[in-house]
Amino acid sequence: MATKQPSREELGSELEQKSAEVRILRQVSSDINATLDLQEIYEIVLRTMDELFGFHHALILLVDEDGENLRVVASRGYEGQTLGGVVPMGTGLIGVVAKKRRLMRLTNLGRQRSYIAAIRKQMEEAGRSAELEEAPPVPGLPDVESQIGIPLLIKDNLIGVFSIESAEQKMFSDRDEILVNIVANQAASAIHNARLYRAEEARRAELAELNQTLEDRVRARTAELERANRVLRETQAQLVQAGKMASLGMLVAGVAHEINTPIGSIAANTDIVKRAAEMVKQRIEAADVPADLAKDPNLLLAIETLQQASQTELLACLRITSIVKSLRNFARLDESEEKSVNLHEGIDSTLTLLVHELKKGVEIVKNYGDLPNVVCFPSQLNQVFMNLLNNAISAMEGKGTIAITTERDGEHVVLRFTDTGMGIAPENLDRIFDPGFTTKGVGVGTGLGLAICYRIVQDHHGTIEVRSEVGKGTEFTLRLPISR
Amino acid sequence: MAQARLPEEIRPVMENGIPAQVGTCSADGIPNATDISRVYHVDPQHVALSNQFFSKTVRNIRENPRACVNLNDIEGCTNWILHLEFDHSETEGPTFDEMDMQIEAIASMTGMSGVFKLRAADIYRVTSVEKIEYGLPS
Repeated sequence: MATKQPSREELGSELEQKSAEVRILRQVSSDINATLDLQEIYEIVLRTMDELFGFHHALILLVDEDGENLRVVASRGYEGQTLGGVVPMGTGLIGVVAKKRRLMRLTNLGRQRSYIAAIRKQMEEAGRSAELEEAPPVPGLPDVESQIGIPLLIKDNLIGVFSIESAEQKMFSDRDEILVNIVANQAASAIHNARLYRAEEARRAELAELNQTLEDRVRARTAELERANRVLRETQAQLVQAGKMASLGMLVAGVAHEINTPIGSIAANTDIVKRAAEMVKQRIEAADVPADLAKDPNLLLAIETLQQASQTELLACLRITSIVKSLRNFARLDESEEKSVNLHEGIDSTLTLLVHELKKGVEIVKNYGDLPNVVCFPSQLNQVFMNLLNNAISAMEGKGTIAITTERDGEHVVLRFTDTGMGIAPENLDRIFDPGFTTKGVGVGTGLGLAICYRIVQDHHGTIEVRSEVGKGTEFTLRLPISR
Repeated sequence: MAQARLPEEIRPVMENGIPAQVGTCSADGIPNATDISRVYHVDPQHVALSNQFFSKTVRNIRENPRACVNLNDIEGCTNWILHLEFDHSETEGPTFDEMDMQIEAIASMTGMSGVFKLRAADIYRVTSVEKIEYGLPS
């Protein structure tokens, strides 16, 4: 059988067509490798297929995560919705291509369907309907005549299927098959790379989020630990202070007891001595006393001296009694529970204990208002007064004025301690109540005094505020509820 | 043994998807004709027919190995008559796989997966090829 040789024109036309195909393939290679955007890749593939073959119906399907189905991710040329359509593995040309992982092309599908429909009808007529299944709905052309399906493979792993359909009985040639394969291979690589990139980006975002979460948690945990640490230090300091106060109270109680008895005795005897001297003086002034004795200057001087000494001694005893009373009042060992007390007494007792410090040149100005008794732990509040007054004395380096102002404000009492000291630098004002913060230098201050004051006032449901101006002085304001 | 070679131009006709007709004859001379979905090209001397459910054809072939196939080329207004002789059956290998894949695809599209199954690829030797050009109707 003779074979017709192609004409020069035919050869030229074929050459031209192949050149165009090579150009398109080079273009798709360049375009597809220039992006990592999946939608863009799908669009390039579909456009290229259209340019190469003029087929207007194409689907790109990717394998679902479960590996049981293929899902349409891009399509071209269909009426109605195809995106998201599902093809079960092994169903139709697409499903079988996926299952077998091999390219397949079919033509004149309409005739094949008619042929099978005829067989189906024969079977139904022969009463074998039970063997028949429902034809599954598959995305794509309802009247497809020609179809080619290409598996999208990465090494041996199937990632999807690319399908071209036509309603015409046009057959795909071997040459078409080669071209489709080239584009499909490039598409598979590009889709795979884009998905890897997307997964990597998602992983990176997830990692960043995890890092952020971790940082937030570390930050929160650190803040929590810092808070706990601060509370611990405050509590520790308060415990130490409470311990000191308890010891002081016991000491004071013991000392007071030991001192009060002899002092009482001394005071009583001194009074007796004073009165006895007075009696002696009255006696020698009597008429029946010999004149030489009554006018003996040494005797009179001795009696005078005895009287003056007794008086001085009595004042000294009173002073000792007053100090002991102040000490007891300050320590208030017997008042470790809440009591309703006069805060002025607590302030005064504290001042008594500080009298030695105050003597150096500190003037105390008391502007006491009419205060009701306040329900509180007296020894704790005395501790606050002691701290504030001590700080004020230190800030004034022993010379200046401390004004103590008290007033009632509704259901609260307000106590102000104002000094004319050096003041507190603004940058330190926010930190003065922090445990451990001190400007007195290592070994001088513990940095716990004001922290303890803050905690005690808080425990009393009150507030403590500070205002200060460098070079002019500082004012601490305590605001305490009258009853809790 | 007669042997013919399939011309290259017959291949697109074999792949055009138009069902063909196969004729066989029993040992006692009773003929049978039926449609088959496709005749597969194995090599220039051999074709394959799907052994599915046309039991009479299979039975006849086992008794009388000669068969005749009519291929329809509607575009070319041509019919091709292939005279065949049964050679052997294959249940695996590239020819079987290719036939199986296509039959599975079409069967699953039409809800016939359970019925329309390839049991074997029956390989036939081509003993002669006849081309009948009937032309367009005037």
